[in-house]
Amino acid sequence: MPKVKAKRHSVSLDMTAMCDVAFLLLTFFMLTAKFRPEEAVTITPPSSISEKPLNTKDGMLMVSVSPEGGVYLATDDQMAREFMLERMANRYGIAVTAEMKKNFMSSEIVGYPLGAMRQVLNMKPSEAKALSKGIPIDSANNELSYWVGYAKLSNPELKVAIKGDKESNYKVFADIIGTLQAQNINIFQLVTGPENKPK
Amino acid sequence: MAEIDSSGGGKKGGKKRSKKMSTKIDMTPMVDLGFLLITFFMLTTTLAKPVTMQLNMPDKTDTKETSPVKLSESLTVCPDENKVYYYQGIPTDAGTVMQVTNYSETGIRKVIADMKAKVGNNFTIVIKPTKKAKYRNMIDMLDECAITNNKRYALLEIDPDTEALIKRSGK
Repeated sequence: MPKVKAKRHSVSLDMTAMCDVAFLLLTFFMLTAKFRPEEAVTITPPSSISEKPLNTKDGMLMVSVSPEGGVYLATDDQMAREFMLERMANRYGIAVTAEMKKNFMSSEIVGYPLGAMRQVLNMKPSEAKALSKGIPIDSANNELSYWVGYAKLSNPELKVAIKGDKESNYKVFADIIGTLQAQNINIFQLVTGPENKPK
Repeated sequence: MAEIDSSGGGKKGGKKRSKKMSTKIDMTPMVDLGFLLITFFMLTTTLAKPVTMQLNMPDKTDTKETSPVKLSESLTVCPDENKVYYYQGIPTDAGTVMQVTNYSETGIRKVIADMKAKVGNNFTIVIKPTKKAKYRNMIDMLDECAITNNKRYALLEIDPDTEALIKRSGK
């Protein structure tokens, strides 16, 4: 009597379909990915029902406020960045070497008092994080005013956006508004996260 | 394993054939790599794009063109960390009552909606965030203005009189 053999199933399965889906998803995520610019601090903006997307077409000057109240400045206009560095260094008598300029241009944000500028720019941007505690904005030493002034001088079309952390103090925001209004900048884009509209 | 089978067609005749190489490829490493990359891009991508709300402040150098606002048509709100103070009238007046509510749907939103229904189109909201207010509170307040469809609002610094009124109300 012949033995009954259990039918052997093949263990190899066709992965082609799975492969297709995987690469489709991969392509989608690769194309939609937009890398977050490096931030010295993590800022979580509050949410609002506003639906206007952030318009970065004509250049943007972004003033960020960290949860601790540090003020940071960033712009996507490379010409304005170069101009700012030149003028600020000139104003405070800092000789800018090619190396310092390279470091300045490769770092996304400005967030240090001018006293520390020479030291910061002689380091790689990744190493200078500890010194980036924010630009002074108190009335005795308002450096933000100069930075913004020079950026606007280079490109008057720059739109001013303010991105504050939701836990940052309102007073810092009021100071920034005051500083900018003194330069006759009266329109601000407040960056927020999206939120559903209540019915 | 994933494989491409290309061994089609049976043998026909006794033709001499070159030795057939196997076209089966082991796709496992490719799939591994694919999923690794998917995971990476999924984690780094930000699908929620930031939005903005525009804030227009009055031109300080421009002194003309001021439109007077009637006291009866305005409401002053003072966003604090967890609650909202509001009053109507002049803070130094003895009759001015400081009231307090919260940020919920039935809180400040209802107050504003009720006032707007009572006053009409000229209703103006004066926002004076307190010293303890967070940035989030101010955005919430501006948001409430947008939700209740109020275009007339002003953002001001808090004055000592209003602070005294908050203190006096003891809330």
